[in-house]
Amino acid sequence: MLKSVTSSGVAAPQATTGATSPQAKMVTISINGKEVEVKEGSTIIEAYYQSGLDIAHYCWHPGLSIAGVCRLCMVEIEGNPRLQIACNTTVVAGMKVNNSSAKVKDAVKWGLDFHLINHPLDCPICDQAGECGLQDQYMKYGQYDSEMGEQKVKKHKVVDLGPRVVLDSERCILCSRCVRFTDEVSKTHELGIFNRGDRAEIGTFEGKPLANNYSLNTVDICPVGALTSRDFRFRQRVWFLKNAETVCTGCSTGCNVKVYFNKEGLFRMKPVYNPNVNGHWMCDVGRDTYKFVNKEARLLEAKVVSSGKSQEMPAMELAKKLGATLRGHGTSAALVLTGSYSVEEYEAIVSYFKTDVGTKNIYHWINNPETFDSFDGLLFRGDKNPNTRGLLEVLKAQGISGSWKELVDGIGTGAIKTVVVAGPENQANFPDMKVKIAELSKVAKLVWLTSGKNAELDALTGDVALLPVKSYVEKAGSFVNHAGLRQQVDRVMTVVPGAVSLTELVDLMKEVGDAMTVKSTAATETVPAISANQIGQGRINNEFTLSRGVW
Amino acid sequence: MAEIKYLSEHYAKPEYQTLDGYKKFGGYEMLAKALKMEPQKIIDEVKASGLRGRGGAGFATGVKWGFLPNNGEPRYLLCNADESEPGTFKDRVMMERAPHQLIEGMLISAFAIKSNKAYIYIRGEYMGPAAILEKAIAEAKAAGLIGKNILGAGFDCELDLYLGAGAYICGEETGMISSLEGLKGQPKLKPPFPAVQGYLRKPTIVNNVETLAAVVPIIRDGAAGYRKYGTEKSAGTKLFSISGNVNKPGTYEVPLGYPLMDLINIECGGLKPGRKLKAVVPGGSSAPVLTAEECKTATLDYECLAQLGSMLGSGAIIVIDDSNCMVDVLSTISHFYHHESCGQCTPCREGTGWMERIIHGIVHGHGSEGEVDLLLKIADNMKGRTICALSDAAALPVLSFVTKFRDEFEYFIREKKSKVRGGQIYAQISH
Repeated sequence: MLKSVTSSGVAAPQATTGATSPQAKMVTISINGKEVEVKEGSTIIEAYYQSGLDIAHYCWHPGLSIAGVCRLCMVEIEGNPRLQIACNTTVVAGMKVNNSSAKVKDAVKWGLDFHLINHPLDCPICDQAGECGLQDQYMKYGQYDSEMGEQKVKKHKVVDLGPRVVLDSERCILCSRCVRFTDEVSKTHELGIFNRGDRAEIGTFEGKPLANNYSLNTVDICPVGALTSRDFRFRQRVWFLKNAETVCTGCSTGCNVKVYFNKEGLFRMKPVYNPNVNGHWMCDVGRDTYKFVNKEARLLEAKVVSSGKSQEMPAMELAKKLGATLRGHGTSAALVLTGSYSVEEYEAIVSYFKTDVGTKNIYHWINNPETFDSFDGLLFRGDKNPNTRGLLEVLKAQGISGSWKELVDGIGTGAIKTVVVAGPENQANFPDMKVKIAELSKVAKLVWLTSGKNAELDALTGDVALLPVKSYVEKAGSFVNHAGLRQQVDRVMTVVPGAVSLTELVDLMKEVGDAMTVKSTAATETVPAISANQIGQGRINNEFTLSRGVW
Repeated sequence: MAEIKYLSEHYAKPEYQTLDGYKKFGGYEMLAKALKMEPQKIIDEVKASGLRGRGGAGFATGVKWGFLPNNGEPRYLLCNADESEPGTFKDRVMMERAPHQLIEGMLISAFAIKSNKAYIYIRGEYMGPAAILEKAIAEAKAAGLIGKNILGAGFDCELDLYLGAGAYICGEETGMISSLEGLKGQPKLKPPFPAVQGYLRKPTIVNNVETLAAVVPIIRDGAAGYRKYGTEKSAGTKLFSISGNVNKPGTYEVPLGYPLMDLINIECGGLKPGRKLKAVVPGGSSAPVLTAEECKTATLDYECLAQLGSMLGSGAIIVIDDSNCMVDVLSTISHFYHHESCGQCTPCREGTGWMERIIHGIVHGHGSEGEVDLLLKIADNMKGRTICALSDAAALPVLSFVTKFRDEFEYFIREKKSKVRGGQIYAQISH
């Protein structure tokens, strides 16, 4: 569950989110005989959404322009003999609209049939099955026997639109959402509809593959199985996946996302609508931030290398040993922090070092300083850490202002004898990983806290300890994004049972010799962090949240 | 009443194509006259004349011009010369015989609606008429009739020709605007209507070739003079393109309200000996077909044909005698609409193909029982459900052919052969 709490800064709303001002004037209209209040200037389809009522549609999407081509959102407006499409008709006070009459139902049924006559009926082998707009809406508005007895139109299958997206033209219903996305949101214009009539197909222009950093959004908004993600397709049936909301840790934007997982691990990520952060979208780089969480990439047990001998042990045991070593260690100990951890973790470990260890030698490892302030204009930021701002705030509040040079000098002179590194979670975002390991391993004793495996760390021979920490889906905590928006997330699941969060580590280190109070969670306990009634809570302007589905 | 040469008075004279020849018969005098008038006065005159759009919809021209918002934005006048409705070829005759008449009509209209930029959008297949128009435009430009300060009246107007690529859908006004903008020729969602946001999102008026040419005699004779022809609600004369089983097919100008059978029997010399009239498509292939019985009372005006459940459309009359199999005819028509659907709206994209495949199957002896009713259901659900009227254009012939000549369809399905021409299968449908 996400709770957005504005801390030090005001969240900058994204231009693409379509957030409406809360003071919008309201008008009263009647929908299916029920009086409802809707925002003035809304279209009828928006009025349905604002009132929580169902309406069939494919091509309309709240984050895109109106195409009006699927012809499914038919409504009857009193005084108008012709059925109208709800997406391109603006409400007028006193308007009487319905989509429950036999006339509308029949039109929607036929609209569905037109969509389905040339659509392959091979749902069992289609990757979209289970989250398909055609399936869902057929069950809701269709349930008829098709009278189509002709040969279906043959089109291209398994077309590579780009490195991440695969197209099946026969499944495509030509709603044009993907084309509008590349025209209006990513503004990269790779996609077009080629040919005409029922020979029309989505495609890319010569020499211009769908290779922008937002390409996978087209897969999300594709209502059918036409566009699939190369990364996810055929890896898991969607009904075997649970999902939970969290924030993306790929950069400092902090896009609201859903992670899809089961006991084998995480499989994919999709954006969750938040007008104040990411609108409807997320970037392709962010989509990969589930990969380093899965077991294959993780450090499973703590490891201690000492006088040439390597020994594995439970993280908790190592934590206690560390606690004994560090207590009162004083200024010969140092702590290195990266922007991967939660505010709560920073608070715990910084105050532990200040009071229990007795040092203010705490340093911020900035991964890519030269591109730190860059921004692609949509969502993707050069600061590829989820919580740099949270870290800086904690350091400031605790009066810490050490420079990296001090640390290097300290190691060089031998003044610093022990360095604890809260290493990066997403190692791919730390191009200087090797350099920093080489630099820091010069110290007498190096303790590296890491969620992921790393070959360089494994190869170190001095006095080194590696301790597995939890990844962002395994712990609760809050992250402050680039704009100062503090977003709180709950634990989603446990991937590595032996891993600890920094807060738990601090607790363990403090309780040297005492009875253990922190218990690890068994891997099988993959309970989603959200209970149903919490969905949508705490987020602003949530009228189009995906909890209602994209349709 | 009989055939009347009102718009087409000088069409027979080859010199009328040239600027000098056109001027010899009073050419561009009406432009000079109009430029001295108040633009609003011209609009009022056109309104009073009762001139209705000759492209098919029959919307009152003056009223359409009145929809332009007074917001100081640049306005565009577009001449729709895409003439792609099967059976229609009257604009072609007008552009070939009297290119300057169209140019003069456009300049007067542009002046009336205060537009300084006009385009003629001509269909890709009309390379001949396009060449003639291009020459005429060049002549007019050289003579100072197009460009800056036309006839010293302080009115600037540029006029250019744009050749389409041969798509039926580009005859739909917003499809034409998309094409002119360099986009894929697909109709745009309305509202906004072109008069408010058209070409380049600026106020735009789209008129048919014949409509714009008719503005010239309206200025010459005044609204009352124009109203001498036609009926109260369908004023003036109209050019009709007559094709099919008549002895003298061609383009004829008659006053609106003229009896259909007179046009067939008198002007067009009737049917071939021994043949009987079976049906007439009165307004281009998309207009519902009329039976021989219905033709008896039909007059060529918007109201009468609407009353008969059909439409005057672009004035393309296709005469069908009793040697034709109606299933064959519909098969050809349905193939056309399937081929031309732009594919934007689902009912049209999928429905046109579905109907064609069913009719194609019937014509090839693969029809099955229930398909007649299925065709009616499909067509009924395509009607009025899309952005533009192409879906209706595809559905209406199916509805009318199948309803009015149901026995021929049922016979074909049952006997696997045509009721009219027997067992011979025509290889007439190409893919």
